[in-house]
Amino acid sequence: MGRTRRTSVRQGVFALAAVSVYAIAAPVGAQSSSGDKLNELSQNEENWVMQCKNYDCNHFSESTQITTENVKNLSPSWSFSTGVLNGHEGAPLVIDGMMYINGPFPNNVFALDLDNPNDIVWQHKPKQDPAARSVACCDVVNRGLAYYPGDGDTPALVIETLLDGHLLALNAETGEEYWKLEVMDPAVGQTLTQSPYVVKDKVIVGSSGAELGVRGVVTAFNVKTGAQEWRAYATGPDEDMLIGEDFNINNPQYGQTGLGTKTWEGEAWKIGGGTNWGWYAYDPEEDLIYYGSGNPAPWNETMRPGDNKWTMTIFGRSAETGEAKFGYQKTPHDEWDYAGVNVMMLSEQEIDGEKRKLLTHPDRNGILYSLDRTNGDLVRADKMDDTVNWVKHVDMESGLPVRDPEYGTRMDHRSKDICPSAMGYHNQGVDSYDPNQELFFIGINHLCMDWEPYMLPYRAGQFFVGANVWTYPGPKGNREAGTGSGQIKAYDAKTGGMKWEKMERFAVWGGTTATAGNLVFYGTLDGFIKARDSRTGELLWKFKLPSGVIGHPITYMHDGTQYVGINYGVGGWPGVGLVFDLNDPSAGLGAVGAFKELANHTQMGGGFIAFALNGESPYTKDIQTGEYQAEAASSTDKDRQASN
Amino acid sequence: MTATGKSLILAVTAAAGLAGATGNAVAAEPLRICAAKNELPFSASDGSGFENKIAKIVADDMGREAEFVYVDDPGIYLVPNYLNKDECDVITGVDADDNRVATTKPYYRSSYVFIYPESGEVTVTDWDSADLAKMTRFAISPYSPVEPKLRDMEKWDDNLNYMYSLIGFKSRRNEYVRYDPETMISEVVSGDADIAILWGPEAARAVDAADKPLVMKVVPDTTTRRDEELRFSYSQAMATRSDDTELRDALDKALTARHDEIQSVLQEEGVPLLDAQPEQSSTDKSTTNGGSS
Repeated sequence: MGRTRRTSVRQGVFALAAVSVYAIAAPVGAQSSSGDKLNELSQNEENWVMQCKNYDCNHFSESTQITTENVKNLSPSWSFSTGVLNGHEGAPLVIDGMMYINGPFPNNVFALDLDNPNDIVWQHKPKQDPAARSVACCDVVNRGLAYYPGDGDTPALVIETLLDGHLLALNAETGEEYWKLEVMDPAVGQTLTQSPYVVKDKVIVGSSGAELGVRGVVTAFNVKTGAQEWRAYATGPDEDMLIGEDFNINNPQYGQTGLGTKTWEGEAWKIGGGTNWGWYAYDPEEDLIYYGSGNPAPWNETMRPGDNKWTMTIFGRSAETGEAKFGYQKTPHDEWDYAGVNVMMLSEQEIDGEKRKLLTHPDRNGILYSLDRTNGDLVRADKMDDTVNWVKHVDMESGLPVRDPEYGTRMDHRSKDICPSAMGYHNQGVDSYDPNQELFFIGINHLCMDWEPYMLPYRAGQFFVGANVWTYPGPKGNREAGTGSGQIKAYDAKTGGMKWEKMERFAVWGGTTATAGNLVFYGTLDGFIKARDSRTGELLWKFKLPSGVIGHPITYMHDGTQYVGINYGVGGWPGVGLVFDLNDPSAGLGAVGAFKELANHTQMGGGFIAFALNGESPYTKDIQTGEYQAEAASSTDKDRQASN
Repeated sequence: MTATGKSLILAVTAAAGLAGATGNAVAAEPLRICAAKNELPFSASDGSGFENKIAKIVADDMGREAEFVYVDDPGIYLVPNYLNKDECDVITGVDADDNRVATTKPYYRSSYVFIYPESGEVTVTDWDSADLAKMTRFAISPYSPVEPKLRDMEKWDDNLNYMYSLIGFKSRRNEYVRYDPETMISEVVSGDADIAILWGPEAARAVDAADKPLVMKVVPDTTTRRDEELRFSYSQAMATRSDDTELRDALDKALTARHDEIQSVLQEEGVPLLDAQPEQSSTDKSTTNGGSS
């Protein structure tokens, strides 16, 4: 293994003193070439350079080789096992004929040559503190790699979060460690599962561990040096949160300054949660990144009176400085664990007669929000299913949800049939948007819950306050059988309605990918990858995978062939019963009971599989590919380094 | 078993006891005692917990064999999930005023204690102690009356993450996880915690075994900011199901008869013992609160 350049930077989240707020020496107006370069690479259908495919996070491919006519001829092309059995979220990246795959803990990374995937060009197996496993809340997942294209001085990098709280950059060509930062500390309950986000010359990463007293934080590091450029907390004083005087200036009714402390009792904001572990989008014209902050802590709402800002908030922040331009809180004073970190998809559509730059966000709470992403205006707030009941509707003037107290969770109230359940009608799956049809393809978890609080006394004046939570398919599913907990829909933001909708046996936990061939692809928890006609929802093709899906599909061209690929490996929150062999139905906030039936359809697995028309692959094109040749090393050899 | 049948057996047992015929097992059925498998120093499946010992003494006095029904669940679930489900008949170490059950008269009274090194560097005798005001790291469990007081003192939030670290961040939302007294005492010994504030009987054994001499100072009762009473001293009793008052009365008799022996067990354990207070033990009640609010 060659010498590696390494910058180790300790970042203690609880070091409130002396945090540098603004970017260091970044020339105003300078467009980093690597920002453009990544954007450029993302437009090339031979690549899949970031988890969301592009900065719009629309998961949409222009490729039309696979169509509604021929998709029935899709067949397995090649496959790769990561060697790990735990939930496989996210998806591999494809750049320049190379595929980069990572997996759940221990977060091994592999680089494969797409001309011959039999060649693991390099692999990196990080050494991690095993204690991180027990701190992680809901299976030891990882939402995938990020890529930085390099700029001549700095090589191209593959970047990964590690469960034990490190951010790791590997030389994309050699797999050698380039830098490694300590961002989160498992000794204080923090972990990382998020896919990092590269924007221009920065890599941005959030946090995990809200219910353990972790205060949410987003940090931007210089991708070349690992130096911290800005850091914004989810709660607390404005200067910690990078909230300035013109925050929400277009929508003062959302709230402006001082609320990161005022909406909490005493100093509860310090342990207020709001971690963001989901997805980002970026608008290079506005130079704004968009993401959602997570749930407030502690989970028991009686312990944190107040609106708990700015948890559960859609943020638009300057990519350069981190300063918040707008923040819209979707669920003030959360009672249901509707963590607000889900996907943000950008589009430009004519809404109510006006062309607008939108961000669209399917929240855990069952509402599909669309905001004007230039200024935070609330444009749409539609229920993703009419069974959503904790909220009657969202007041479009104030932006506030009009709650139905019957479906609240409070320690003095027993409620049944709360929809969505704590797992949300939508979770971490990355959905897609077809700009031609102007439709969003949304995977939905049709799950509801009963909530029974209890107070258990014990000796010496002690008592434990808890709740029994039962989670089960919603009214449109089959509660007895534990099936019908999934839906897939085509949402039209212009009308606020659904063009088509279909039921699925289990929650559509992973994401969707759409193509210009009028197709939408997605995986199911019981292990199908499916293709539907994106215009009608008609089921056109499916394949039974070795294990269920919680990740999202990708598609890319290689050597003239369009491939569709997906990670398989059931796990994540819906899989906790399976993965950890749990039987108590109320464990995992009811997830074990909700998905008990899943074990009758799939078991654990872990890997990636690619499909092409008629199973085309480098091996069908030339059967000698990957064959052992007795002669000396062939000219197709690439540099190979196995690094640890 | 019918009520008549039950009374018959008890009558026979009582008669046997009065006649001094201990060990006459012909008519005496075992005394089923609910106990946690793993809750030292109170209870353990090898009988080494001090509550286990006291229960054996009581059973012996009643001429009955002590049959421990050991459970894997934390002790907090014994009343709703075991006693009230008829898996056993007796529970030891409940608060004397626990109105879910029929309690005996208390067999001891103890308190929470401030636990810190004897070295003399700090002294804490009450909630207003100057040294306490400076402290930031508290080895405590989240379910006790210590919480509202620390909240009032504005020390709770800053300590929360440390507190979760004491159980390795295991508690997920509404899962009860027991805070191990040995762990908390070792935090005080190592200096990672400034102080532990624990229920005295729970901590005594670990304090005694600690590598460094530690003091236990009785925590006085206090009031919250909202003028609510916060008690830190509690009388402990044994209990039966609410309607099982005959058995409760029999336990009372045995506790009185073996008072001295029981006090020895407690003293050997190192439990901080307070004088008995006139306390209202629960009376015969037909309603039981099965653990839901």
